[in-house]
Amino acid sequence: MKKSKKLFSKCYILICFLFFYLPILVTVIFSFNSSKSLTRFTGFSMRWYAELFRNSEVASAVYVSVTIAVLATVISTVLGTITAIGLSRSRKLLKEYLLNVNNIPILNPEIVTAISLMLLFSSFGMTKGYLTMLLAHIAFCTPYVITSVYPKVRGLDPNLANAAMDLGATPAQALTKVVIPIIRPGIYAGALLAFTMSFDDFVISYFVSGNGVKNISIVVYNMTKRINPTINALSTVVIAVIILVLLAMRLLPKLRRGKNSRRPGNRALAWAVAAICLCAVCLTLPKGMGQAGEKPSLKIYNAGEYIDPDLIGLFEDMYDCTVIYETFESNEMMYTKLSGGETYDILIPSDYMIERLIREEALAPIDWSLIPNSEYLMPEVTDRSYDPGNVYSVPYFWGTVGILYDTSVVDEKDLKAGWEILRDDAYAGNVYMYDSERDAFMVALKALGYSMNTTDEQQIQEAFDWLTDQRDTMAPIYAGDDVIDNMVSGNKALAVVYSGDAAYIMSENPDMAYFTPEEGTNIWYDAMVMTKDCANTRLAHEFMNFMLDPENALANTEFVGYTSTVSPAFEEMRSGTYKGIDAYVPDVDNSNNEIFAYQEAKVKKIYAELWTKVKAK
Amino acid sequence: MNKLIELKNLTKNFEDQQVLRGIDLNVYENEFLTLLGPSGCGKTTTLRIIAGFEEADSGQVLFDGKDISALPPYKRPVNTVFQKYALFPHMNVFDNIAFGLNIRKADKQEIRRKVEAMLALVGLEGFGSRDVTLLSGGQQQRVAIARALVNEPKVLLLDEPLGALDARIRKQMQMELKKIQREVGITFIYVTHDQEEALSMSDTVVVMNEGMIQQIGSPTDIYNEPENRFVASFIGESNIVEATMIEDYLVGFDGCRFECVDRGFGEMEPVEVVLRPEDLDIVDPENARIRGTVRQVTFKGVHYEILVETDIRTYMIHTTDYTEIGKHVGLDFGPEDIHVMWPMGSY
Amino acid sequence: MKHFKKLVRPYLIWSFVLIVVPLFLIVLYAFTVDGNAVLTLNFTLDNLKKVLEPTYANVFVKSLALGAVTTGICLLIGYPLAYMIARFKESTQNLLIMLVTIPMWINLLLRTYAWMNLLADNGIINRLLMKLGLSPVTMMYTDFSVVLGLVCNFLPFMVIPIHTSLSKMDRSLIEAAYDLGANKVQAFRQITLKLSMPGVINGIVMVFLMAISTFVIPKLLGGGQYVLIGNLIESQFISVGDWNFGSAISFILAVIILIAMRVMKRFDKGDE
Repeated sequence: MKKSKKLFSKCYILICFLFFYLPILVTVIFSFNSSKSLTRFTGFSMRWYAELFRNSEVASAVYVSVTIAVLATVISTVLGTITAIGLSRSRKLLKEYLLNVNNIPILNPEIVTAISLMLLFSSFGMTKGYLTMLLAHIAFCTPYVITSVYPKVRGLDPNLANAAMDLGATPAQALTKVVIPIIRPGIYAGALLAFTMSFDDFVISYFVSGNGVKNISIVVYNMTKRINPTINALSTVVIAVIILVLLAMRLLPKLRRGKNSRRPGNRALAWAVAAICLCAVCLTLPKGMGQAGEKPSLKIYNAGEYIDPDLIGLFEDMYDCTVIYETFESNEMMYTKLSGGETYDILIPSDYMIERLIREEALAPIDWSLIPNSEYLMPEVTDRSYDPGNVYSVPYFWGTVGILYDTSVVDEKDLKAGWEILRDDAYAGNVYMYDSERDAFMVALKALGYSMNTTDEQQIQEAFDWLTDQRDTMAPIYAGDDVIDNMVSGNKALAVVYSGDAAYIMSENPDMAYFTPEEGTNIWYDAMVMTKDCANTRLAHEFMNFMLDPENALANTEFVGYTSTVSPAFEEMRSGTYKGIDAYVPDVDNSNNEIFAYQEAKVKKIYAELWTKVKAK
Repeated sequence: MNKLIELKNLTKNFEDQQVLRGIDLNVYENEFLTLLGPSGCGKTTTLRIIAGFEEADSGQVLFDGKDISALPPYKRPVNTVFQKYALFPHMNVFDNIAFGLNIRKADKQEIRRKVEAMLALVGLEGFGSRDVTLLSGGQQQRVAIARALVNEPKVLLLDEPLGALDARIRKQMQMELKKIQREVGITFIYVTHDQEEALSMSDTVVVMNEGMIQQIGSPTDIYNEPENRFVASFIGESNIVEATMIEDYLVGFDGCRFECVDRGFGEMEPVEVVLRPEDLDIVDPENARIRGTVRQVTFKGVHYEILVETDIRTYMIHTTDYTEIGKHVGLDFGPEDIHVMWPMGSY
Repeated sequence: MKHFKKLVRPYLIWSFVLIVVPLFLIVLYAFTVDGNAVLTLNFTLDNLKKVLEPTYANVFVKSLALGAVTTGICLLIGYPLAYMIARFKESTQNLLIMLVTIPMWINLLLRTYAWMNLLADNGIINRLLMKLGLSPVTMMYTDFSVVLGLVCNFLPFMVIPIHTSLSKMDRSLIEAAYDLGANKVQAFRQITLKLSMPGVINGIVMVFLMAISTFVIPKLLGGGQYVLIGNLIESQFISVGDWNFGSAISFILAVIILIAMRVMKRFDKGDE
């Protein structure tokens, strides 16, 4: 009877652990996959590891994560320990006040802490970056140190320090030679907790960092656009390091048992921490040296996965400068960062956002004489409504929004319905909508035959009804960029996507096809603009010119998959790599197509609120 | 007296370590029986097997003639007072004592009456609503006893219950335990490593070592007639001397022959002789067969402890008379003071 | 020892600047119009009133419900796990607890992506099902996938505090209960469960806190239709740009949680 019970509990534990480790196992296995797929294992390869070590963004993220974690751990441990010791001797009122305040970051939801810190930094006009991230990490790690050290201090005989001082120790010596050694287990526990919290943090870092400073979590989050097994390789490396440290912690005490080590566990921990610090230093050195030179620099803010990273290196070499490259998830996020006081030299936003920035006089005019490669620009992309005469913007990529469909599932005849196919019962539960209020309302407004830039509340209300009806009858999934991977895997039959993404998906999954409905769609342009704060306008122009160079533009469009604005590159792709993929060629002839116009804040809020209502029934 | 518990050839191993090597023991009604031995001798394991917390590898536990080896602890008619009391920290004194009765869903009125009676028995009237974690060691001890006794067990098992108390309270609790046992009139099985505690409270003492019973007997028997060197040295202080049993009633050691009261060891057999220090007298060397020099004198309150060095060994003597260090003296003892036993390893 | 009193001073200042002031800013934003303009404070209750609108109130209800479900499942799975682990010998316990802790060191987003790949319509699990000749199951973008992701990520935070309180418990207390006639179920309910309550409450608080305020996991595993408080706050700050409304939601969330904490604390103390 006893044996069967043991067996039962062993099975239970095994199942639970399987549950914990299944995702980790999948991550590790697919880091060795020879293809990009994360669901189909096609063969063993180390290519993602090679890519990992070439990827400078990942390298700098590892550097940031490790150094921030180590610094935050050390500082918060020291701060937390001395505070805990001081607290045990404080007056009751002060003690209660501090312990309560200290509890706030632990009890408050992470997102509230993150936002409060973001508000703090922007109110003080601090530039977000490494320092703000470090301060934030110390701020949320210290409470954990205090809560794990304070009980140990409280349990201490108050005469211990007195005894030490009676024997001639100064207060400082009493602290370091008597008090701290006794509460050491609590300090280690606190430090370990702080390190874990800091190293793995996403939410707080996401809100308080900026200027290209990203930790691993932020990089991973930005990679949703194109899931990339490089990140699996990275996490496999992280797992391997953790296992090595753990093994070292278990083995070291055994190896040292011969010698007289009193606290083997603690020693091992000290060794582990030392090893991590050493790693951090090793990683710091090349980085530090790289930044030593006083080269001119250019700060660029672009959407995630929206440039061939090799081009950045090439540009740096050619013009002997440093590029600080940062990515955003959406135009709105970029705008939020800008209003939070961030400054950049070059931005690459979309049409309507450029219109807004022009209105807010945030941009500097382009000196076209400095961009000789502008002769290669396609006529279809210049002089558009968002910036007539291209005073401020140099077109970068362009395309449409349309419907991607699985030819093996969708009947060609059904396509005649245009946008209404998204309300066709035959495909209920088989639809991805794009999770953005403007794109979703564009679909509804176009389906209803209205302008997608309408400010007529009646029309907006009708579009809202269209969307709620679709939600109730079709149960669509409102996906973000994860739609790309989902459609590559053929998870659903229909999806509203950007043409560039469609082109990429079609190149990976030949079953997919793309069409833009007759009722018209959003034709969009992303363009490079120069901010008013741009200090080195010459270098900025050189960069824009560099990106229009046919060869570079080709490399870029090949990497990203979006439609180039540079004529030779466009033609090359159209007849070469993306031959037959019609999504690559935007439909410019349909007069129903529109460009997004800038929305007044009031109108924007209406859309935003209605969209929230659609999603949250 | 009726046999209440019978242990038959119990053995127990913990991870290749033999803890019990065949324990046979009878426990009688109304008996105060003590399992005495050094730590690791198997006394606590024996107790835990009786309580049902451990299962013996082989052997039987009979209760009133019925085998209860397979019964879980909560179905056995015994209750335990734990080493560190194991009082439930989330309950007050009353609820701790009432626990067993509540489990049996006894009548509320009856519970109250019984618990109050128990509180009175252990001298804790009015402590019912106290927090058990705030009681003194002695008070916790009393709660633990009351909690066990309120269930009216046939046997109370006590696992070193006084070990955590200081010397003065321990003395007091010894007397009270004995008193309580007499009042409730049930069997106590008591585990301790303190020989004085065992001798002063028990009706029967069971001396254990290395998983075996060394001797079972009344406190006087155990003290006066130790069966082997282990019992002799564990209980009280003694001079243990290798000797030869020349014949019945005649034993030889230190080069002399002495009359004794022991028989049945055979002829010319190697044996050991126990001489209790208080049985030895210091006399004029001329009247004694064993002679030596006083090397050390220590005042012990009631008596002096004197070490006398002879040519062969050093004897310890307890006497109320003072003797100077360096004095040449003789040692004297009567035949009834010599306890002959089998040497270590031959039983 | 009074020399050491001064040691709290740095943190006194630090916590004021980095904990108290930021919270004050949230409150300030929550009660003003256009908080960006610091000099002209226009106080208003509109932001808070807006939170009470059915759409947003609904989001709160949904988040709290999801948090409760996640916490409940974590407790149901985590308590037995912690209990079983606590019954092994100490070295094995340490190893098992280490194994529970390790996943927490691996990026939460990475683990969530892995779940996406496992649960997708054409994902690993469905491929396996199809190979076995079974029909595929839709798991992604459902309540199931969200709860699964939340439970997988937060379960260690339930297991560890419960295990701590169970392993601290004196084994002889259970024996005492058996000895006094309690059977296994009674001993478990009256002793083990009661004495592990501090750990249970700790676990419930931690999991619930994280579950109601998370925005990454629901966004990735539940899709855009999974609007929870966290997503709402994030979208107000990141995409809508209405910091005042975002602060108002954060403020209310913080208030709800602080009240819940108080209640929990009282419950915890009353129980002891």
